[in-house]
Amino acid sequence: MSFSSTPNGPARDAPGTGFSLQWRSSRHARRLLTLGLAALFIAILARRPEFAGLAAPPLLLLAAGRGQRRPPRISLRAQPSTRRAFEGELVAIDLDVAGQGECAVRWTLHPGREIEPLSATAADGPQARFTFSPQHWGRRQIGTLDVVLRDRWRLAEGHLTVNLPTLDCYPAPAQQRTQVVLSRLPNRLGEHAARTFGEGIEFAGVREYVPGDRQRSINWPASTRRGRLQVNTFAAERSQDVVLLVDGTSDVGEPGSSALDLALRGAAAAARAYLDARDRVGVITYRWGSVGWLAPGLGRRQVYRIIDSMLASERGGAGPGESAYGTSMRRLPRAALPPGALVVVFSPLLDQRFVETLRDMRERGLTMLVVDVLNADPPVRPRSTDRMARRIWRMEQEAIRFSLRELGVPVVHWDGIGSLDLPLARYTRRPLVPVGSRR
Amino acid sequence: MTRRFVAIRAAAVLLGASSVVWATAPLVHTGWANLALILAICGVAGGALRLALAGVPVPEDSFLLPPPLRAWLGFLEILRRVPWEEGAVVAIVWLEVLHSSRPWPTAVLGAALIAYLLATHLAESDASPGALRPQVRVLAVGAGLLALGAGAGMLPAAGPGPGAALLRLVAAVALIAAAALVLPYVAARD
Repeated sequence: MSFSSTPNGPARDAPGTGFSLQWRSSRHARRLLTLGLAALFIAILARRPEFAGLAAPPLLLLAAGRGQRRPPRISLRAQPSTRRAFEGELVAIDLDVAGQGECAVRWTLHPGREIEPLSATAADGPQARFTFSPQHWGRRQIGTLDVVLRDRWRLAEGHLTVNLPTLDCYPAPAQQRTQVVLSRLPNRLGEHAARTFGEGIEFAGVREYVPGDRQRSINWPASTRRGRLQVNTFAAERSQDVVLLVDGTSDVGEPGSSALDLALRGAAAAARAYLDARDRVGVITYRWGSVGWLAPGLGRRQVYRIIDSMLASERGGAGPGESAYGTSMRRLPRAALPPGALVVVFSPLLDQRFVETLRDMRERGLTMLVVDVLNADPPVRPRSTDRMARRIWRMEQEAIRFSLRELGVPVVHWDGIGSLDLPLARYTRRPLVPVGSRR
Repeated sequence: MTRRFVAIRAAAVLLGASSVVWATAPLVHTGWANLALILAICGVAGGALRLALAGVPVPEDSFLLPPPLRAWLGFLEILRRVPWEEGAVVAIVWLEVLHSSRPWPTAVLGAALIAYLLATHLAESDASPGALRPQVRVLAVGAGLLALGAGAGMLPAAGPGPGAALLRLVAAVALIAAAALVLPYVAARD
């Protein structure tokens, strides 16, 4: 049985979901019955009335307890504090029962996979609150809930097990504060200083005054030096299109910090950083030769759309407003991969087809930056052949990265522990030059 | 772990152990007394161990666990499934019946056994002794019947032969049955 109501759906005062209870004797009642029957049996067999007296209290308790009221149905309500949470975030679920009458209620939470309870997992009373934290991204079942109702004399127990709602757990974004900016930016207002003059706030130079210039932009010291009126000029502020390309083909490494984990966390951090800078950000998730994509967009909600899109691709589905999974990389529409966009790739570069795809994209003129998220080596046994195989594998990996660099695709390595700013520092200090253009 | 938590568990164990000692002394060597004693000790000890380890969590996934951990989980599973207290109660009553008729010690044993079962119940449900308050009247009636049973056992037989003892027994059982029929209506007023 599970809750029909979804979290964040009904209001707090909405009626809960009805469940039927299965009543049975408690262990206490079974023990009393054993004592009563054993004593009575012996009293009859041995013809000793004191054993009949010994049987009296437990049998009386059982007989008197039969009159207790036991509700056949109860109404339960489970209200998680949120439906979406990042890894490690604190989430609470409020539980409420109605229709239990005078029965005592005991709740026992059995957390689902990758759900870490942060409070006691058992509670008494008609209301209960459990706190927990999802440990790994994905759609997670919060767990199952055992509800036990005990009558006033605790001789009968009504048992109920329900499945708690699911929780969408997002990968915890890594830290990224700086952005890689292209040297050529589209003619769209944004926050990056472009090379062209415009109405920004970043000082670009000084030129001679022409009629129509604003008086407040006159640079008086320069005018005094040159003897003619000089005005300050400023750099235009533009935004760029950023496409995050996430390689979900290979998931190697320790669970929790595998290549796929790092790719998703890095992509989430990049999405947040570029959207904070008013860039349009989209995502393409690559898996086994086919892709799922979400067209670039603006705004804070786009972060959640991007993460939803990545997680949906991992589940093999498609989120709202995005492509169905299975499109070929070559057939991506312009909306998914706009010309002139910066493509930030998160990949362990283990899949040869993906590497070929990157080369192909580069030849098509896209400006790319690869964040290498491979942090694992193949397991090796203490044999010379194994060691040799590992060395060859490492050399192959280095060759792949070298070939990409030779094509003009920067490859930086990220260990998943530190900030993404550190490996990207070389490219965030100055604009990234697109293919074919010269500084 | 609160003081009440420990106290109730300790009380359950002590009541179980004292019931075993009470029913055993003086030790007789007839009617599988040794086996009953072993069963009683095992039952009380197993119940005590179950209560002591009741809070030990069991992992959700039991696949690919190392053998010692799997053995430990198996032990916990057995400990939680076996009805230790039922076995102990039956063995203790068995030990008691091996003695010749001694109505008042039997009544005391009955009170100790009831207390043992109630303490075990409170310990395993983490309830306070106040949870038994609604049952106090029934327990008082039960104690009265226990005393009546003991008294009936002490009465000299109305006449020679087995018929008199049977008569007393029937009277005691009838008393219990009458009380059981009346008591639900008494208890319903709580």
